[in-house]
Amino acid sequence: MREGPPSSSARAKRIFMPQLRMTGRGLWITVLIVPPLAFVALFIVYPIISAFAYAFFDWQGLRRGAFVGLENFHTVLFVEPYRSWTLNAFKNNVLVFFALMVLQNGLGFVLAYALWRELPGARFHRIAVFLPVVLSTIIVAYLFKLFLHPLFGVVNISLRGLGLGELAQPWLGQSNTALWSLIVAQAWHMVGFPTLVFLAGMQRIPSEMLDAVRMETQSEWVKITKIVWPLVAPSATIVFTLLFVGAFNWFELPYIMAGLDGSPFGSTDVLGLYFYRTAFGNVSAGQQNFGLGSALAVLIFIFIALVATVITVRLRAREIQL
Amino acid sequence: MAQLSLRGIKKSFRNVDVLHGIDLEIGDREFVVFVGPSGCGKSTLLRLIAGLDPMSGGEFLLNGKRMNDVPPSRRGIAMVFQSYALYPHMDVYENMAFGARLMGLDKGEVEARIAEAARMLRLEPLLQRKPRELSGGQRQRVAIGRALVRKPQVFLLDEPLSNLDAALRSEVRLEIARLHRQIGGTMIYVTHDQVEAMTLADKIVVMNAGRIEQVGSPRDLYETPANTFVATFIGSPRMTLVDVRCEGERLVLPNGGSVHVGALPDVGELKLGLRSDAVRLSRTAGGDGFAGQVVYTEYLGDNAYVYVRLADGTLVAARTGPDDLFEPDHMVTISVEPGSVHLFSAGDGRRLVP
Repeated sequence: MREGPPSSSARAKRIFMPQLRMTGRGLWITVLIVPPLAFVALFIVYPIISAFAYAFFDWQGLRRGAFVGLENFHTVLFVEPYRSWTLNAFKNNVLVFFALMVLQNGLGFVLAYALWRELPGARFHRIAVFLPVVLSTIIVAYLFKLFLHPLFGVVNISLRGLGLGELAQPWLGQSNTALWSLIVAQAWHMVGFPTLVFLAGMQRIPSEMLDAVRMETQSEWVKITKIVWPLVAPSATIVFTLLFVGAFNWFELPYIMAGLDGSPFGSTDVLGLYFYRTAFGNVSAGQQNFGLGSALAVLIFIFIALVATVITVRLRAREIQL
Repeated sequence: MAQLSLRGIKKSFRNVDVLHGIDLEIGDREFVVFVGPSGCGKSTLLRLIAGLDPMSGGEFLLNGKRMNDVPPSRRGIAMVFQSYALYPHMDVYENMAFGARLMGLDKGEVEARIAEAARMLRLEPLLQRKPRELSGGQRQRVAIGRALVRKPQVFLLDEPLSNLDAALRSEVRLEIARLHRQIGGTMIYVTHDQVEAMTLADKIVVMNAGRIEQVGSPRDLYETPANTFVATFIGSPRMTLVDVRCEGERLVLPNGGSVHVGALPDVGELKLGLRSDAVRLSRTAGGDGFAGQVVYTEYLGDNAYVYVRLADGTLVAARTGPDDLFEPDHMVTISVEPGSVHLFSAGDGRRLVP
C-alpha cells in the first residue's frame, strides 16, 4: 500500500492518517468485543440474574406464581425435610472437599515432586499422570462403576484373587463406602491437574538454589517444607481455589455413579444433585420445585463466591509475605 | 585446618569424558583459583569437591578422610554460587540462619555468628530485607555471608563476580581478598578471567579440556609457563608465538630476519614466545632483528601497545611508552631481550629450557 515518492499532498494525507486509523482501531475493538460480550450477557449474566429472581417466587411447575420474598430460602434452610437434606448434602460436600484436598492435591504435590526429581521412568509417568484428566468424566464414572461392581468388578475380583475375599464388598451399594468410592474415582481422574501445576511451579525453581540447599542439608523433608513448598505457593493458590469450586459444584461423577438420589440413602448426596433433583424433579419422586431449586442455587453460588474470595485473598497475602 | 587431596578424579556424563584424572593437593589456608576457558571442566571439578555431583572415578580426601560418599552438607564445605542462589522467601537474616540452624547450633551461637558475618560484610542495615530488595553486590555479600556463618573448612566460589558490572567487580574482588586474609580459610575459586586469577590466588590451577595444564603461583605461571596453552592464557595482552628455526645462537624467521638470544637447545624448529614487554621496536627497517610492519597502535595513557605483523603473518604486540607512537604501515625492526623470551617445542608445545 506504499504510494510513490512523497509529495506535499501525500504528506498532508499522512497527517490525517492517524485519526483515521484510530477510528479503524476503535471499530475493530467494537467488532471483536461486542459479540462475546453479548454472548456472556445472554448465556451467563442473564441466567444468573434470573435464577436470583426465580428464587423469590412461588412456582407451579414451570408457571411462575406469586412473589413470596425469602420464603424459599427459609424453606430449604429451616423446614423439614429440606433442612436435613440440605445439611446432609452440604456435609458431604465438605467431606469431599477435604478428602480431595488430601488425595488429589496432596498426592498431586508428591507426584509432582517425584516427577521433578527425575526418578526413573519420569518421562513416561509425566504423560501417564496427566492422561486421565483428558478423559471425559462420563467415561471415568462408567469405568469406575464397572470396576466397583460387586460381582464382576475388577476390584472385588482382584481382592478375591489375592485371598482377601472378606474385603470384597458392594462398594457403591453401602452407605459407609459409597461416597469414598466416588472420591477415589474423582481423585484418580483429576490428580494430573494439580500435579501439572505444581510441577510447573517446581520447574521454575533455579537448579543452583537446590544445590545451595543440598550444601546445607540432605533431608528431603527440610528441602520440601522450607524451600520447595514456599516457592510453589503461588501454584497452590490456584489449585486450592479451583478444587474448592469444583468440590462444591460436584455433579457429573456422582450423578453417573450414584444416581440423582445420592443413593444409597443419601450417603452420596451432594449440593449439585440435590439442587437438580429439587428444581427439575426425578423419576422416583416426580415433584419439581423451581423456586426451592433456585433458592438452593443462589445459596450455593453465594457460598462458593464468598469462600473462594476469602481463600484467594488469604493465600495471595501469604504469597506476598513469602 | 583443611588439607584437600584430589587423586585421579574422573568425571563423565554418559559417554563424554569431562575430567580425565585430576591430581591436585591443596594446603590449609590456601587461596586456589581454577582458571581456564569455558568448558574446560573447572566448574565440574568444583561441583565434585562440593559433592553436588558424583565422581566417575578417583578419590577426594579432606584432611585424610575419604569424602567420595559423604553428602555435601556433611563435608564441612560451603559454596557461593554464580547466581548467588539466595532463598527469595527469606530475608537476609533467615538466609544466613537457615544453614546454621540445620547444623544444630543453638540460638545464641547462630545469632553471634550472623552478627559477626554481618559486621564483616557490612550487612547490618540489610538484615531484614528480602533478596529481591538488594543490589547485585549486596546479594553477593549475603551469599558469602551465608557461607561464612557455617564456618566451613573450605569455601568454594563458582565465578562469583561474573554477574557484577566491571566497577563493582574489582571492588568485590578486593573484598574477597581481604576476607580470605581475615578468616584464613581454604578457598577454591573458579573463574575464566585470568586477571581475577592473578590478583587473588596463592596458587593457580590452569585447566584445559578436562586436564590440569599447570599448577603454580601467579608469578610462576607468568614467568615460567609450562606450555604454550598456559603461556598464551596468562597475561594480557596475550603472548605471541612465532614459529622459528634455530641457527647457532640465533632464531631465524624464514624471509623475516633473525634475533640473537644466546644459548639454544639443540632442536631444529621451535616456537618463540614473546610478551609485549620483551619486544623492542626500532624505527629503522632492515636492522638486526625481525622485520615487521606496524598494523595499529593502542594508546592506553600510561603506555601503548603497538601491533606489528611479521613476515609470516604473525601479529606481535610490543609495549612502548605513551610518547613512542608508530604510524600504521611503518616498516620497523623487532629485537628481543634475550633473557625474557620463552621457548616451546614446535611439536607438543612444552617449555624448552636452553
